[in-house]
Amino acid sequence: MPEYRFEDLRWPVDEPVVDVDELVVEDGERLVLFGPNGSGKTTALRLMAGTIGGGRPDGVVYLPQRPYLFRGTARSNLELGLDDVERGRAAELATELGVSDRLDGSARSLSGGERMRIALARTLASDADIVLLDEPLAPLDHRDREQTATTIAVALHGRSAVIVSHDRSSAAILGDSLAVLVDGQVRQRGPIAEVFTTPIDDVVAAVVGVSNVLSGVAASGDGALVEVEWQGRMIVAAGSQTSREQVKVLFGGEAVAVHRDRPDGASPRNVIEGTISDIRTVGRLLEIVVDCGAPVAALITPGSFETLDLHQGSTVFLSVKAVAMTAVSVGDAE
Amino acid sequence: MDFLFEAFGEAVDFLRDSSGELGAVVGLTLLVAGIATVVAVALGVPLGVTLGLGRFRGRQALLTFVNVGMGIPPVLVGLIVLMILWSDGPLGSLDILFTPIAMVVVQVFLALPIAAGVTAGAVSSLSRDAVEQLAALRLGTVRRGIVVVKEVWPGVTAAIAASFGRVVSEVGAVLIVGGNIKGETRVLTTAIVQETRQARFGAALALGLVLLIIAFIVTGTLTWLQSRERADA
Repeated sequence: MPEYRFEDLRWPVDEPVVDVDELVVEDGERLVLFGPNGSGKTTALRLMAGTIGGGRPDGVVYLPQRPYLFRGTARSNLELGLDDVERGRAAELATELGVSDRLDGSARSLSGGERMRIALARTLASDADIVLLDEPLAPLDHRDREQTATTIAVALHGRSAVIVSHDRSSAAILGDSLAVLVDGQVRQRGPIAEVFTTPIDDVVAAVVGVSNVLSGVAASGDGALVEVEWQGRMIVAAGSQTSREQVKVLFGGEAVAVHRDRPDGASPRNVIEGTISDIRTVGRLLEIVVDCGAPVAALITPGSFETLDLHQGSTVFLSVKAVAMTAVSVGDAE
Repeated sequence: MDFLFEAFGEAVDFLRDSSGELGAVVGLTLLVAGIATVVAVALGVPLGVTLGLGRFRGRQALLTFVNVGMGIPPVLVGLIVLMILWSDGPLGSLDILFTPIAMVVVQVFLALPIAAGVTAGAVSSLSRDAVEQLAALRLGTVRRGIVVVKEVWPGVTAAIAASFGRVVSEVGAVLIVGGNIKGETRVLTTAIVQETRQARFGAALALGLVLLIIAFIVTGTLTWLQSRERADA
């Protein structure tokens, strides 16, 4: 199927907190619904899943924000509603998510994080055309979060999905594209790196912040730092990857330093040359978007902007400390 | 006081000397109430699950109907069923009036609203998260029903106990449609009425004691099942 089209996402009907005429998810697209608390993300996802609003779309599997496990063992919940093939996959996912040793115990004895991982394994194991996940990482400890995020990213590879998140790094790891929901309406929609580096207006900038998501391939690593191929060059980021795999490198716009001349420094490999493609005001700071093959955003003060004599089209060098960049695995290298 | 002691003494004598007749009455009581409870639960629990999960047109009307049914006077139900099964009535040709079948029919009508109403109450107390998860799982109707019944099992056992309690202790309706025919449609409650009318209080008391023991064993077993389930949860 070429795309999945959700229409008339409107709820409640008389005074809607969500009012979206149409949301199209392309085949294989992982779309993150991003927004602050109360922006209507969960309501929009429930409308898509048909648990409110009366629609019962086919081919949809949905993980609620607070998954509920029914009376019985964790395994009976893991397998609920799945066929034999899906059950096999669910068992593998439970192992990857670190809950396989909990399957024969009572579902009621599990912690919130364990319940989420059981429900997540069941949801991801489903054959459905499109996967809907509501804040799948929210109830997890920091310790489990990255592994779980990687498992989700790998399981969703090539599949269509809509994932609700209010957290930048979860969104960046789990999604390819972003729809920013503000007051129940989609304010901006586009590739995740683009929305994060070039928010369409102040409202979106305030919601998403200014940050960078670089998709690359881990080349080699020593367990603490990893070299990542990105846009034909190598960058060094904090990450535990030691073999070739797809990664996303995340860092904020405030971690990027801007220079007119190539700087001499301790991490010379994280110097990226580019041309300024856009300059905009973000609160009391300025954001400059630099085209380095892909856009990279940097936040600077108006004072530095003056001193460096920057303008659109200027060639600049960006430097980022390796420890300020986090590389997260999202799948096997192709 | 002497009168009461005498009655107790007679009751003990009655139980000791009772022949196969008491056994037949107890057997018919258990058979009629048992079948009626099974049928009422088989129909009422799915109806209660449907009502409890809600979200369909006509739900409120049906719920009101069930609630009225829970409190409807048994004699009235007996009268209506009698008229339907009467030789000139719409189902008179079935020729089941004054048989145990008619008694089962009338008891099903009495117990079904209780089975449905108590189940619906238990199901509607499910948390919002549980209801959302059920909707998310997209199970078939039967599979979903099984998950719900297991989830509210203590409530369902209460529905079974209340249904059985209603039919086993009921006298008016079974008297009307069964006729209290000795050896054919006489059950414990109608036998108690019979003995009382003839001022054989000892016998009536003895039959009442047997009824009490049956009710105690059945509801006690269900309560035990309920508490065991709670401990598992």
